[in-house]
Amino acid sequence: DSHIQYERVGADVTMKCGSMDWDAAVTWTANGTDIDESHLNGSYLILKKVDLTQSGQYSCYEGSSWHLKYQTYLRVGTPPKEPLLMCRSNNYPKGFYCSWHLPTPTYIPNSFNISVIHGTKEMVCEKDVFPKNRCHIRYLQLFSTVKYKVTLTVTNALGKNSTTLTFDEFAIVKPDPPESVVAKPVPNNPRRLEVSWQNPSSWPDPESFPLKFFLRYRPLILDQWQHVELSDGTSHTITDAYAGKEYIIQVAAKDNDIGTWSDWSVAVHATPWTEEPKHLTTEAQVTETTSASTSSFMPPPTTKICDKGAVVGSGAVAVCWTAGLVLAAYGVLFI
Amino acid sequence: MAAADSPSAALRRRDLCSRGIRLAGKMRSDVIDLLDTYVERQGLDASASVAAVEGVPAAAAERWDEQTGTQRLLDNLAAYRAFRALLAQMLEEQREQLGEADAALGRALAAVLLQVSAFAYHLEELLRLESRGPPSEEGAGPPPPPHLGLFERKLRGLGVLRELAQWAVRSARDLRQLAKPSPGSSSAPSPAESP
Repeated sequence: DSHIQYERVGADVTMKCGSMDWDAAVTWTANGTDIDESHLNGSYLILKKVDLTQSGQYSCYEGSSWHLKYQTYLRVGTPPKEPLLMCRSNNYPKGFYCSWHLPTPTYIPNSFNISVIHGTKEMVCEKDVFPKNRCHIRYLQLFSTVKYKVTLTVTNALGKNSTTLTFDEFAIVKPDPPESVVAKPVPNNPRRLEVSWQNPSSWPDPESFPLKFFLRYRPLILDQWQHVELSDGTSHTITDAYAGKEYIIQVAAKDNDIGTWSDWSVAVHATPWTEEPKHLTTEAQVTETTSASTSSFMPPPTTKICDKGAVVGSGAVAVCWTAGLVLAAYGVLFI
Repeated sequence: MAAADSPSAALRRRDLCSRGIRLAGKMRSDVIDLLDTYVERQGLDASASVAAVEGVPAAAAERWDEQTGTQRLLDNLAAYRAFRALLAQMLEEQREQLGEADAALGRALAAVLLQVSAFAYHLEELLRLESRGPPSEEGAGPPPPPHLGLFERKLRGLGVLRELAQWAVRSARDLRQLAKPSPGSSSAPSPAESP
């Protein structure tokens, strides 16, 4: 006679040896190992304040004949805590999915039940094969102001718990990040990087539901990002890159009208085009703490050099941006 | 329907759709600002649930992706004509209730009303292009204002504005669907979008 018995962590457990009398002579084993008599009260097995390590197979044998009289599988666990539930539409306007998990494991089997109500209508959330704790719903209506109410209940042998999420159609729209982000230098342009990407493949109709994009980039040596928001197109040319410095670039996407920004895409790295150094002069060699090439901050011959005469002779404050860039770059090196 | 499919008609349609999409975007942005002002001035809770308001066209659509272009235009036009009347009522009620004490809310309501009227006209233009012509407004006058207490009127106003914000999003989507070249049309390859 074998069955499963679920008990809470910390509980006191008493196991009877089937129909044997209290005063019968019995031997108890746990996973095949004899249990010391000090744990017995007559033929009853007493386990005080059980912990997870005490899960296992418990068997009771009649004293003299060693007949198996009772067997049980003890599973020590906890009732479920309030589950964590999130719902999101990454394939608007087709539908949305909800996924959940428990904040702490229960160590025993759990079952999940999800209900989705839109106004007065109960909708079916079809469970995904993978991942397990996820289900998806097709929108039956679009542009509704009526909120969706999703309730998830988790149940196990020791208890149950639930959580409810209420949201409107637009609020949960969050595309997946853009895909295939590529960044390339632009020949003969030491300050440019050409970046291109694609709409996430999960977004079903970018023509009718266009995405807008947010690009961020910075040289590896700096912490501060530059940002550009792009209302259309899947490419952008960065025109203010520091010459010769390796950049890290990421892109995010958002529906043009509703919802929230996607996570950042996978980061790509690129370095703007630099001219092959022809010869190095003494003035060009700079003492550096990094191993960067000494030609990095020398403006290539094609770069327009500030006309000192124009700057000095002019009455206005003329900002010579190239000189300023070089100075700023030197400043960066010595941070 | 040869006229509707001619290259010039297709170009005109795309142009009207592009402008309509921009109008809808601006309208939505202004309606959302108006909602904030309205909620604050009327002393309402922004998260208050409002049951479906009688006489307010619901933006919710089933099988939205299966609608024809003409149906989209007709549904939109009916909605914006209704909103035009509803906003005019709200403006009048607001003036009666608050008089000149809250000119800002009145101005914001009036500005949105203007945009709604402009958008309705824009839709009529698109319908004319479909060789369909807009339906007349005879007999489709504004519903008589229901006899509601002050608080109910405020909630009704909230419902009107929320539904209008929803429509503004839907309208942009509808116009994008409309702007797609129809299969088998004689239109030239898509021209560049007008700025």
